[in-house]
Amino acid sequence: MDNTKGKIGIREFLAIILITIGTKVTDNTPTSLFDKVGSAAWITVILMGLFSFIPIYLLTKLIIAYEDQNLIDIIFRLLGKYIGFFVIFLLWTTETYSIVINSATYADIIETMYFVKTPLFFTYIVLIGVAAYGAKKGLEFIGSAAWVSLIGLNIALFVVLILSILQGRFNYVYPILGNGIPEIMKESAMNASILGEFLYLGFIVTSLRSTNVYKKGIWIGFIYVTTVYMLALISYIMLFDYVSIVNLNYPFHETIRFIQLGFLTNVESLFLPFWLVASFLRFSFYLYISALLFGALFKIKQFNYLVPSIAILIVFLGLIPEAPVFTLINLRENFAYLTTPIFLFLPLILWITAKLKGELKK
Amino acid sequence: MKTRLGLFHFLFLIFILPMLSGCWDQVSIDKRAYVVALGLDKGEDNKISITYLIANPEFSKQEGPSSEPAHEVITFPANDIISAKNTANAVIAKEITYNMLNVLIVSEDLAKDPEFIRYMYDVTKDREIKRNIPMIVTKEKVKTFLLKNKPKLETRIHKYFEFVLENSNKAGLTPNFKLHSYFSITESDAGLFLAPYATTEQIPGGKYTVGEDELLAGELKIEGEESNNSQFLGSAVFKEGKMIGTMNGEETRLTIVLNETLEMGEIYATYPDPFSPQYRFSARIMKREKNDVKINLNGYTPTIDVTVPLYMDILSIHSMETFDNGKIEQLKFHIEEEVQKKLSKLIKRTQEEFKGEAFGWSLIARKKFWTSHDFEKFDWMKTYPNMKVNVSVNVYIGTFGEQSKLPDLNQVRD
Repeated sequence: MDNTKGKIGIREFLAIILITIGTKVTDNTPTSLFDKVGSAAWITVILMGLFSFIPIYLLTKLIIAYEDQNLIDIIFRLLGKYIGFFVIFLLWTTETYSIVINSATYADIIETMYFVKTPLFFTYIVLIGVAAYGAKKGLEFIGSAAWVSLIGLNIALFVVLILSILQGRFNYVYPILGNGIPEIMKESAMNASILGEFLYLGFIVTSLRSTNVYKKGIWIGFIYVTTVYMLALISYIMLFDYVSIVNLNYPFHETIRFIQLGFLTNVESLFLPFWLVASFLRFSFYLYISALLFGALFKIKQFNYLVPSIAILIVFLGLIPEAPVFTLINLRENFAYLTTPIFLFLPLILWITAKLKGELKK
Repeated sequence: MKTRLGLFHFLFLIFILPMLSGCWDQVSIDKRAYVVALGLDKGEDNKISITYLIANPEFSKQEGPSSEPAHEVITFPANDIISAKNTANAVIAKEITYNMLNVLIVSEDLAKDPEFIRYMYDVTKDREIKRNIPMIVTKEKVKTFLLKNKPKLETRIHKYFEFVLENSNKAGLTPNFKLHSYFSITESDAGLFLAPYATTEQIPGGKYTVGEDELLAGELKIEGEESNNSQFLGSAVFKEGKMIGTMNGEETRLTIVLNETLEMGEIYATYPDPFSPQYRFSARIMKREKNDVKINLNGYTPTIDVTVPLYMDILSIHSMETFDNGKIEQLKFHIEEEVQKKLSKLIKRTQEEFKGEAFGWSLIARKKFWTSHDFEKFDWMKTYPNMKVNVSVNVYIGTFGEQSKLPDLNQVRD
């Protein structure tokens, strides 16, 4: 029997990484960075990458050491039944909470920038509904969908980046240090969880063809995502200047409304579908992970069936915030600060435990 | 089993289908009224007077116009440009949309009002208004401007503004700052924003000038059979979001030469002939290299040294000179001196009258600062009037028209 059935290869894995984490440049994640560090936001991304390097490296070490086990098994094995349960529960809560904030933000983007008259409830239902459909279908489905759309999405993204860099002004990048070195260091350390989703990729290791796929995918993805993120921040700054950009809610969407593609002026409707596809895939993957963790917590084997209930829970939680533009950005900032320690220290703790137990020597 | 699953999928797809219609945001293009130009005038109390120029979409068809007029102008008082959309529906039958808005027109009266900036920020709130549209300042009320502006050969009014601004900008007579720059320049508080200046009110008899571009809109004498009187010439100067003055065509051209962020087309200009001063020769000026701007902020008085490289083609010479190397050198020196004098005069004016610069130098100066805090503390706008600015011009002479030699007049008249 073919034992690669139901498993995904490097292409799909890489596509998932690029789409789920790469899409972050298009929401309001950059806004809070610009708000705090001004024109130096792109430097923050490089530093963030450096900070995240260690936990991701340790995680990869662990996963290679325990072949055929995913992060859930590793956590249970190293931290024991009770602490393990607590840690997984914590991870599930943060993951689900992040879907709530993110999906509410995305629904708000659609609501304010594109479909003004459509009720938020309806937009939200469609967004999460499609994502839940994908998540229910399983990882293989998400992987192939991501791979199929990857090239198109990347072309669209690079067209936007190149156009905005060409139509922007390079001098806007200065003063190079923005609000100063202390601020840059502080924000890059505190916001490291922007790249924190790499932790969640450890949960699908057993669905990959081999640990080699994991190792390769994670590093290529990591470098690619950081580079694209940095380029995107530079292009936003070059287009809008550091003073004005703070006032923009969603720089990416403002960018696609601003740039011109030759004689075409209203190009946002050209890029919107690409962005929507990326968003659907992103939430599909998040929902899948959320269901996976919940299943692991309460020993539910067929965790696919959890997806619809989680999706409904998310819709109702996401509709709560009033004046989403301001509420969500605060929630997101606090959330990023709160989850950064988890992202930075959990792999370290796991690695130390494994080292002490002497299980890394194999 | 398989067929049942297929059936489910099919039903699911049918259920999905209605969503393609765009739900509540579905619009029919023939049920909307497209505002092409939006005018803002001062109103009573805190209100503004809004003027809509609504285009008739029938005129963009190829088959030729119907009996309907090409556009409609309405003016009414409103609190802001967003709620005005609803108010206008008391008169206009279709739903008002700003999707096709091509230009924002503001009267000088309102632009000079300190409250003006408040109304401008409404633009950032409405998602239909793009920020890459131009803003025009008119000498008279926008209402009058739009009613009087009747281009004879451009009945498709939405194209008219696009063309007229594009070409007057190519000629260097108006700046091509977009609405977006109004916000970014105002917010960074380091420079001046320029908007094209226009009017339909001609000064009786026009104004005589030695050159061809030392004019402001309305000062150029245009005659013709019921010709369209609207002129786009010169620029309105905005400081901190409020209009503080105007620059004529020549000053606007020089600003475009100095400002690297503004695109410069081919400019045709005339200069006094060094060989027989009663005549002027005309030249085509282009910029092929970037300005060299050196900013020194260290001394007690900060200095800016600007070198402007210009490429010139000499087109018409009424003194009928045929040039040799010596004369070219002489001509070059003459032009350099002439342009340099004009630039210095303009810079002096910005320092003394406007107390701010529109040359984008603050952007270059940013490189000298490590953090934005230092830059903001330096306060470019406040420091600029006291800076020492040295300008020099480098002229490179290219061609002398199609026929480069001219006959000797004395021999012809002999």
